[in-house]
Amino acid sequence: MTKVGLFLCECGPNIAEAVDLDKVTEVIKGDKKVALIERHRLLCSEDGKKFLAESIKKNGFERIVIAACSPKQHENTFMEVMTRAGLNPYLFQMVNIREQCAWMTPDKELATQKAIRLIRAAINRINYHTPLKQKEIECSPDVLIIGAGITGIETALRTAQKNRNIYIVEKNELGGVLNRLQSLYPGMQSARELLQKKIKEIKSHPEIKVFQKSKIKEILGFFGNFIARIETEDKKEVKLNIGSIILTIGGETFVPAELPNFGYKKFENVFTADEFENSVINKENLPQTIAIVHCVGREKFGYCSKICCANSMKLARLIKEKSKNTKVFQFYKELCLPGKEYDQFYKETKEQGVEFIRYKNIEIGDHKIDYISEDEIKQSLSVDMIILSTGLVPGKDTQYFANLLNIPLDDYGFFKEEHIKLAPVSTITEGISIAGGCQGPQDLNDAVIQAGASAGRTLSSLIPGRRLQVEAKTCEIADSICVGCGVCVRVCTYGALTIDESKHISVVNEVLCRGCGNCAAACPSGAARHRHFTNQEIYQEERAMLK
Amino acid sequence: MQTEPTIIGFLCNWCSYAAADLAGNSKLEVPGNLTTIRVMCSSRVDPVFILNAYFQGADGVLVAGCHPGDCHYQTGNYYARRRLALLIKILQTFDIEPKRLRLSWISASEGQRFSEITQEFAKFIKEAGPNPLKKKPFFE
Repeated sequence: MTKVGLFLCECGPNIAEAVDLDKVTEVIKGDKKVALIERHRLLCSEDGKKFLAESIKKNGFERIVIAACSPKQHENTFMEVMTRAGLNPYLFQMVNIREQCAWMTPDKELATQKAIRLIRAAINRINYHTPLKQKEIECSPDVLIIGAGITGIETALRTAQKNRNIYIVEKNELGGVLNRLQSLYPGMQSARELLQKKIKEIKSHPEIKVFQKSKIKEILGFFGNFIARIETEDKKEVKLNIGSIILTIGGETFVPAELPNFGYKKFENVFTADEFENSVINKENLPQTIAIVHCVGREKFGYCSKICCANSMKLARLIKEKSKNTKVFQFYKELCLPGKEYDQFYKETKEQGVEFIRYKNIEIGDHKIDYISEDEIKQSLSVDMIILSTGLVPGKDTQYFANLLNIPLDDYGFFKEEHIKLAPVSTITEGISIAGGCQGPQDLNDAVIQAGASAGRTLSSLIPGRRLQVEAKTCEIADSICVGCGVCVRVCTYGALTIDESKHISVVNEVLCRGCGNCAAACPSGAARHRHFTNQEIYQEERAMLK
Repeated sequence: MQTEPTIIGFLCNWCSYAAADLAGNSKLEVPGNLTTIRVMCSSRVDPVFILNAYFQGADGVLVAGCHPGDCHYQTGNYYARRRLALLIKILQTFDIEPKRLRLSWISASEGQRFSEITQEFAKFIKEAGPNPLKKKPFFE
């Protein structure tokens, strides 16, 4: 029989006053599964840790149960002590008799009874623990960035450092959407100048290798060890070994061809904002009156694109700069101008004589706009040119990369982040981050912030010269029991389980497994086992609690 | 003799286990007859664990996970929900009232909610009386 040591921590007065530890000792003493019960005033203190380590050595404990605070507080602390004392840290169970007993059960007698049940559950389970190995694998610190728009470029610059190769792959020219812009709001600085400066920076950076007009043909592998096959500009094939990937493929502007009331492609003087800024504005003369219509496509795709209101005002300013006497009308539904600089930007635009008209419904005709105004009045306005301020939509390649890398898309077709608030640039596939317009509509500021966030996440997850530590409490498959039904493969969110076609059984990729245990609950034959939370371990806990 | 009912709670490590800790930290009362088992995700709760709890004499079982859409592992809580919906049908064949099984969504910040749900559930179980399986011959 293995020698199990039980340690009771008084946690100062916290546990000692609420739970009758003498009674606990007296009751548990009779349990043959426990070799010795030790008690300490504050086990997490330096003195306590020393006491724990010495007691393990002196008494030759093989497994340890500690009844103290929540494992969320000090499980790691005690696991470290165990490791130093030469024990496998997983031959340990912590009993939460502070938060979930002493502090929530005011009746001392009840609290003591509860503590006894909880401790017994741990004692019952501890003999079923198996030593787990903290596994480490070789990995590459190199990063592949897909898409060299401004987000991709910025991400590359921020990830580039010594001992790490950064590869950036772009299917077209470098620069993405910034190539098509004249200036940036609200500062109205030149987009081209900024872009040229950044492109020069990445091209000359010793740690960054740029592949433009290149295609990603295939990506295999997993976090730490991906292999990407790339077809370069001169149709050569390059194989890259990388550890992580950042997707910065951007979005696209909506083309309103399918919305007939906006008259796009029907009348020759109707353009999208993108077309106007990219080419029309460079033509010689601008006409006398120009209307900019906001919220084009918003109803269809069901979200506000965040950038178009400010962008429309920027266009009005560009028009005014070029042709002072041109009258500019802004037809808007709602104005979305959050942020510290935009109230002023709006005020200044208005001061330049730009007129704002709020519409409820709109129909674009030949050189005119019929609209229903805010106060439900039908009106008409003749104009010489109409600019449609269209929203942002997912890029055409989004689906391709979602399939290639096993990343889900959200309801609108953008890459889905792991958590909208707490993990906005990670995806459910370990080692793959997203930034910029492929995650959702955003302006340059947000894109640059996301570039920084994804760079930081990537840099901290794989460090040159260090091996990758993988979760120890993963799932495992018992080869002799598995029949290869594939139920576990279907429930696994992370693609950690696959069917080995030659053996016709399921296999686990322990780098991808995050240890949720869903497969173990789903497996009909009991072949999938969740380490540290096995069926036996949980049955033992139940049995003790219900005795 | 009428004894205090026993309730087993399966708590997700990321949300409801933290909520239970928070309830304790805030000195909110939680029934003393509830003992909890920590799992990494509500989807780890094999329906057999719950059946086993009733067969061992539990009067109530609580499974608590993250709110829909908030699962630490993306979709685990949806699996738990579906499995428990099926399990209820099996429980009925053993004469175990479905209400003896409770599935709740409790986030890490909802210590108050954890305290309320567990107290209310304990009250319900006390009123419902002992697990009917205890009356069956194989328990004697």
